[in-house]
Amino acid sequence: MVKKYTSMAYANADELIFGNSKFPVKAGLGLEIGAGYTSPEVNYAPRPGAGASKEKLIKEYERITTDIMARMVQIGAPSVVLETEHVQQMSNNPTWGGAVAHAQKTIMEEYHDEYGIKCALRHTIGDIREDRDYLQLRGDKYSTFMEAFEEAANNGADLLAVESMGGKEVFDYSILRNDTAGILFGIGVLGSMDMEMVWSDIADVAKKTGTVASGDTDCAQANTAMFIAGGLLDKNLAHTTAIVARAISAARSLCAYESGAVGPGKDCGYENSIIKSIAGVPITQEGKTSTCAHSDLMGNIVMQCCDLWSNESVEYHGEFGGTTVQCWSETLAYDCSMMNVALKTGKAKDLRDILVLSDKYRDPQGYVLAYDNAYKVGQAIAKDGENNYLRAKNAAIECCNIIEEGVNSGKLRLTRFETNALAKVKADLESLTDDADKFMSDNLTKFKQEVAVFKPENYGL
Amino acid sequence: MLDLKLEDIDGILVRYNVALEKEMTPDEAAEELYPKDELIYPVAKAIYEGEEDDVVDALQSAIAAGKKPIDLIDDALMVGMGVVTQLYDDGIIFLPNVMMSADAMLAGIDFCKSQTTEVPEPKGKVVCHVAEGDVHDIGKNIVAALLRANGYEVIDLGRDVPVDEVIAAVEKEKPMMLTGTALMTTTMYAFKEVNDKLLEKGVKIPFACGGGAVNQDFVSQYELGVYGEEAADAPKIADAIVAGTTDITALREEFHKH
Repeated sequence: MVKKYTSMAYANADELIFGNSKFPVKAGLGLEIGAGYTSPEVNYAPRPGAGASKEKLIKEYERITTDIMARMVQIGAPSVVLETEHVQQMSNNPTWGGAVAHAQKTIMEEYHDEYGIKCALRHTIGDIREDRDYLQLRGDKYSTFMEAFEEAANNGADLLAVESMGGKEVFDYSILRNDTAGILFGIGVLGSMDMEMVWSDIADVAKKTGTVASGDTDCAQANTAMFIAGGLLDKNLAHTTAIVARAISAARSLCAYESGAVGPGKDCGYENSIIKSIAGVPITQEGKTSTCAHSDLMGNIVMQCCDLWSNESVEYHGEFGGTTVQCWSETLAYDCSMMNVALKTGKAKDLRDILVLSDKYRDPQGYVLAYDNAYKVGQAIAKDGENNYLRAKNAAIECCNIIEEGVNSGKLRLTRFETNALAKVKADLESLTDDADKFMSDNLTKFKQEVAVFKPENYGL
Repeated sequence: MLDLKLEDIDGILVRYNVALEKEMTPDEAAEELYPKDELIYPVAKAIYEGEEDDVVDALQSAIAAGKKPIDLIDDALMVGMGVVTQLYDDGIIFLPNVMMSADAMLAGIDFCKSQTTEVPEPKGKVVCHVAEGDVHDIGKNIVAALLRANGYEVIDLGRDVPVDEVIAAVEKEKPMMLTGTALMTTTMYAFKEVNDKLLEKGVKIPFACGGGAVNQDFVSQYELGVYGEEAADAPKIADAIVAGTTDITALREEFHKH
């Protein structure tokens, strides 16, 4: 049952703070997420070639898990979450994913029993719903996809997650052509429709298995925009366009929580601050500690109201300071220690604001995601919360307005290119209908013609 | 909430992109680069603007005025695209402009082909693919578009391409270069298999690899690998090969930045 958010979980933006969520989530072995403290969430990728066989893969994850747990104990970290993002072999062969979860959880239980360290295991299932040429969101692979969640849950995973891909075929085409309506259609409409289907079913699996349906991220779309946009000097996409895609993605990723997920949202969902303001769920974020995976312009700011603090992903191999998972888990744990001290000493809001201000004016993306502005985007979504299209459009327009306010204050400075791109996006948005049915009909016709790989039946259309 | 004073922001961060922005607008810069021929100019301008219908209209006018369709591909469409790629390389326009211009150019090439029985001569042939097991293809799509925009014939094998299919395509098409993109560390391992099977068959063409988790260290591990950090490196590598640099070590010397 999908219940849409039409109001804000927080009375005002200032209530948003790291380590605290309106609705904390108990998970795994003694952990409570968003209940007054932050915890590191370590993510990793096996070495190339490790997926050659099931046995080889299990062994790799055993090494990774042991390394992390050992390092956490060595430095006195009170809690940790491990996130295993499935390689395709694990989701396409659900028993592989289950076997890995079992192997990891066995090790984590040993550490929990011996040292009392609070810990939980997240398994993020790969969105395998596609074939060579097309997305196959509702096709034959759907049952394998759901089976992968169930196998992981039955064998030790505590938190279930996915980075679902609905709408990506239209988005990929549109983002490279500055097609604002297409970006909105791909993320806000098609993505939301797919999310509602997928997350209702994941929530059922979680209920059946006594695990937690955690959350999603618009990695496939908004992060694609962020990565294409790149750094300050990159010339591939206006950062103003990328943040509009991000604002839209908040309306889309919110669908998980409306369909039964309870958090924590996935690390690379930079839209999570907006979602937390609306839904009050705990969230994971990644920033300066995910430079092992990618660069971004929001290294500190996204820590502002995180409940778990992540490194995104790192390939497992040796470094001077140990293996990569040891090095990065240690970095994460020290960041969490700093946040937890701030919480205990009454300095949390000061630390939060320092983190925010170190990035707020670095780029329009950080400016919009600063908690005061993220809250405004949240309000724009909740205002028409019942209507997936309208709320996504609202978020996009509010995002444009926020950037304009920042520019008018003199503190946020844009290039002429970013200014022009913003003006174009805003004009495009303002010319769009408020009628969701008409928008759907117009864009179905358009993208059936323009995007050869777009199959409306993927969305039950 | 706390805030910074306006005068304090520069001590925290520098918006180098704002500080160093070019004076000239993209339209002004393009205007300086368009060919002066009155029949070619509208084609080049329509390419820059990414307007497919205008490209075809301008081509029709040029043909009506006596230009040969086959010549217009090189003399008008590629010239217009040259303006676009130069502006992109100079940091004056952004990727979506290039993509839209590439679409317009392809529409123009199709139109020219429909008006003649002659076959255009590409700069060279490149086979593009996404690694087996990997369905993330936006990077490959950008690479393919940029290669086409630079005059190369692209055989696009798509995504999640089995290693043997890549080998078969290379044997059949005999390209001057193969490209491979991948987002994940686990799938990029397929590049090494492609490399080994090509060598087994005695095929020694540059294999330009990049994307997501792919890095220079990994690509350097197999004999034919040339790492491209950005999609825009693909046409540059191809141009280097056309210009005579076919040796992998020499290509690495030129394109490996780290």
